[in-house]
Amino acid sequence: MNLTRRNFLKTASIAAASVPLSKVVAKAETTVAKAPLIPMGSFKDTKTVTGGICEMCFWRCQLVGKVRDGALMKLEGNPKSIDNGQAICARGNAGVKLLYDPDRLKYPMKNVGKRGAPKWQKISWDEALDTCAKKLNAVVDKYGAQGLAIFPHGASAKYPMHYFERVVGTPNVSEASFFQCRGIRDTAYLSGFGTTPGEHVDMANAKVIFGLGCHFGENIHVSHTKRYLKGLENGAKLVIVDPRYSASAGKSDIWVQIKPSTDTAMLLAMMNYLIESGKYDKKFVEEHGEGFDEFKAGIKEWTLDKAAKECDIPAAQIKEVADLLAANAPNVSIHPGRHVSWYGNDFQRERALACLTGLLGAIGVPGGFVKPKGPGGVKGKSWAHVEHEHPAMNIREELDIYPFTPPGTPTDLIRKAAVEGKPYPIKGCVAWGQNPIQTVPNQKMTIDMLMQMDFVMCVDVMPTDITMYADILLPEASYLERFDYIKKGTQWNYADKHEQFISARMPLVDPLFERKDGVWITNELAKRMGHEKLIPVKNQQEAVNIALKGAGLSIDKLKAENGIHVQPGKDPYGISEDFTISFNSEEVADAGFPGVPTYIPVEKPPQGFMRLLYGRAPVHTFNRTMNNVWLNAAMPENPVWVNDKMAAKLGLKEGDRVSLVNQDGVKSRNTTSVKVTPGIRDDAVYLYHGYGTMNPLMTVGHNQGIDDQALITKLAVDPETGAHGMRNNFVKIVKA
Amino acid sequence: MQYGMIIDIDKCVGCHACTIACKAEWEVPAQFGRNWVHRLGPAMTSAGMAYTFYPGLCNHCDKPSCVDVCPADPVTMEFKDSKSGKSVTMEVAATWKDPFNGTVQIDKKRCLGCGACADACPYGARYVNPDLADDNSEGKADKCTYCMPRVGEGLQPACVQTCLAGARIFGDLSDANSDVAKYVKKGAKGMTSKAVQIGPNSRYFGSKKADLELLFAAAPQEMPEANLRRNMLARMMKPAMKSVTNIGLAGLAGTLLVKSLEDDDK
Repeated sequence: MNLTRRNFLKTASIAAASVPLSKVVAKAETTVAKAPLIPMGSFKDTKTVTGGICEMCFWRCQLVGKVRDGALMKLEGNPKSIDNGQAICARGNAGVKLLYDPDRLKYPMKNVGKRGAPKWQKISWDEALDTCAKKLNAVVDKYGAQGLAIFPHGASAKYPMHYFERVVGTPNVSEASFFQCRGIRDTAYLSGFGTTPGEHVDMANAKVIFGLGCHFGENIHVSHTKRYLKGLENGAKLVIVDPRYSASAGKSDIWVQIKPSTDTAMLLAMMNYLIESGKYDKKFVEEHGEGFDEFKAGIKEWTLDKAAKECDIPAAQIKEVADLLAANAPNVSIHPGRHVSWYGNDFQRERALACLTGLLGAIGVPGGFVKPKGPGGVKGKSWAHVEHEHPAMNIREELDIYPFTPPGTPTDLIRKAAVEGKPYPIKGCVAWGQNPIQTVPNQKMTIDMLMQMDFVMCVDVMPTDITMYADILLPEASYLERFDYIKKGTQWNYADKHEQFISARMPLVDPLFERKDGVWITNELAKRMGHEKLIPVKNQQEAVNIALKGAGLSIDKLKAENGIHVQPGKDPYGISEDFTISFNSEEVADAGFPGVPTYIPVEKPPQGFMRLLYGRAPVHTFNRTMNNVWLNAAMPENPVWVNDKMAAKLGLKEGDRVSLVNQDGVKSRNTTSVKVTPGIRDDAVYLYHGYGTMNPLMTVGHNQGIDDQALITKLAVDPETGAHGMRNNFVKIVKA
Repeated sequence: MQYGMIIDIDKCVGCHACTIACKAEWEVPAQFGRNWVHRLGPAMTSAGMAYTFYPGLCNHCDKPSCVDVCPADPVTMEFKDSKSGKSVTMEVAATWKDPFNGTVQIDKKRCLGCGACADACPYGARYVNPDLADDNSEGKADKCTYCMPRVGEGLQPACVQTCLAGARIFGDLSDANSDVAKYVKKGAKGMTSKAVQIGPNSRYFGSKKADLELLFAAAPQEMPEANLRRNMLARMMKPAMKSVTNIGLAGLAGTLLVKSLEDDDK
């Protein structure tokens, strides 16, 4: 501001010398014209367009757009929503800046430079699609369908994923949302409860909320966060287990500052204590449990003292937490977590969480684990499975490993096969909305995989790290410009009137430039690859109308209902008589893994190194939002959290510029600042994930902050699932 | 009547939605903000570890330090109370405190963009937007208006509407039955300190001692030094800025001014 004022005065002085007053050139940050002197606000002379469904993250809140002269001015929560209501988060609010980001992909482009150092040439859709079809078919002809690898992410990537998986026939499909995020949780709970858990804990009506690494507030999903806050408002006690004093720890009644990677030991000790002191729900266990005796015997060694030592926390605190849960059972939320691929011992930890939930009888009761009921009827139509004469070889099945894998093939198996050419070459790659470079550990190997491909095709909204490696890069319509996802559910608080809702994503504005939706792109590609007759839906509208039809709805009907159909709901509480929880899972044991949840210690930091922990920034969804000018301005970089005593020992002060170097000698490409705090253990450092993109075409986010993924070179594969633990890497801090 | 806003830090999760909704509503340039969220901690307090948030905005103070420093030519302005129909006429510069609803507002058309008001605010609640430069200024002062244009249409302020936590409550502090007044009764306080006592009407409520200690440590500890000379010089510049035809008169003053300010910065 001083600068501004000085400029003002200087200009006055120059003006005095008879030079015309010059105006400051407005920075062209969007295609929207310069702001008016007195902004009009979003509420007058705008059209309210309904049917928006957010995808700044994957919770997908319901939106309305305020549109003036065809331009989207503002996004708001749809007032009709019984999920997020009128609230949306920072990212949701910033969707306007994604929509009009000048760095967005605008036209189909061909890379006439090198992979990794691309030179882009604008081409027509015909040329782009013809090239993609020719090159992909060439790979299939030479290597079979198994020669293709597909990396999809997001609502629009499902349709092309089904095409490549079911019609072209490649098993090499890997979704980051499973293998680097929540897949372990889903299959672990399946083996315990017989159902995937989502994040369906009734926190709003809980007496205790127990979160292992949950950092609500930094991880924002609107209706989920509303449940959490309602629970706190209603007087729930909050227990947060985390090496770091997270935003949730800041609201907790008990913060357990656990040693990273030892969580399962704590859970086992809590359960052993509850059993030995008779403080578990005996009736529930008798009626619904199986394998309890083996379980009881199997965890007997985990005394409070033994766990206290392993976890580096007081035994009394473990007891305090267990007693608090027992005293308030069954109305307690044992949160299953979301991103759970941490240490490579995660399946067992998730099994332990499921068992703790069962031990407390916290299923189907207010405050417990409760799945929403309905609405039914919605059924989408996608590509049908094609029987192939010579089905492609599924690497995982061939190796007979990772029996509890989530759907798809573990990313590293695909990557390893591609790099080694064994058991077969993988020479074609399609990345659709996913950025494996900032998702999968060991960037170099991911890049090696891309470099050896005969052909790489990327479809995205924005440039990301992986788009630098594309041969053909296709611009997709954003979530604000297309039809696709059906969002359904119930009212956010089970204590309120039972209602269900169904909504479908509809465009709030038309796509600009030559951006196209995923159904169109996939169909046009399929036509050219020789599969025209198998196309299941003509266009995106038809896909949505077919999905809605089963619920007696259509796009037109939803529009007439302001984007959301609300109908009477059902009481979600209660539990079926045959509900079974496997304290000892014979299925898991038969596969050669511990059937009783077991703590598996992992590598400790080498001398002089600290464990690299990472998590969500409230204003960012990984790399996807890093180029958003509003979100970048809110948190332009990711300071590294360093324990205050450790910082003093290392001679680091708040704000010092530093690089990080990991155990394999990999140094961060960029620097960041030091955040000195007592709120983290001295054997770990913490970064927000997703920063420091290497793509210079992300002109706002490029090289801002440190890319944590670049430092995660070592894989910690979870043996049951094949998913990738990412917290077994260690770093040193180097002054910049 | 005195509009005010309560921020309930027990509820606030630090998601920053309020800051982005405001940017979208009022086309605030990315590098500025009419409001902000400062993340405080984790830090040790006398009551233990704390990690909380300071969602700040203009306090529409009882004794706003930004109003009197405005060097723009005063004009006569009539204010009307929408409730009682009463009206009051006041001489105001380009920024003033509304005698009826208690909000502090800016007339951008007459703002010179000199930044004296931004300098005078101990909370840093104002900025000068250079993108709005016109023939009479090199920018315009801007800040939170408590969303008066939205409130006038019966809407909530944009930051309040988007808050998933219900941590922001807007209303009339002088109405004892309002939610905001009830919060004040429960102990909601403005961000004041020994030296900064200008009657802020954005108030903060929390029930945890550690959080409150951390939050109020972030309150400004001193009033900005009134740079009288700077303000005086800004006043001298005014005729030059008002009319290009008079520009010659400001020549000498302008040159001196730049020189003296450059000296200031050394």
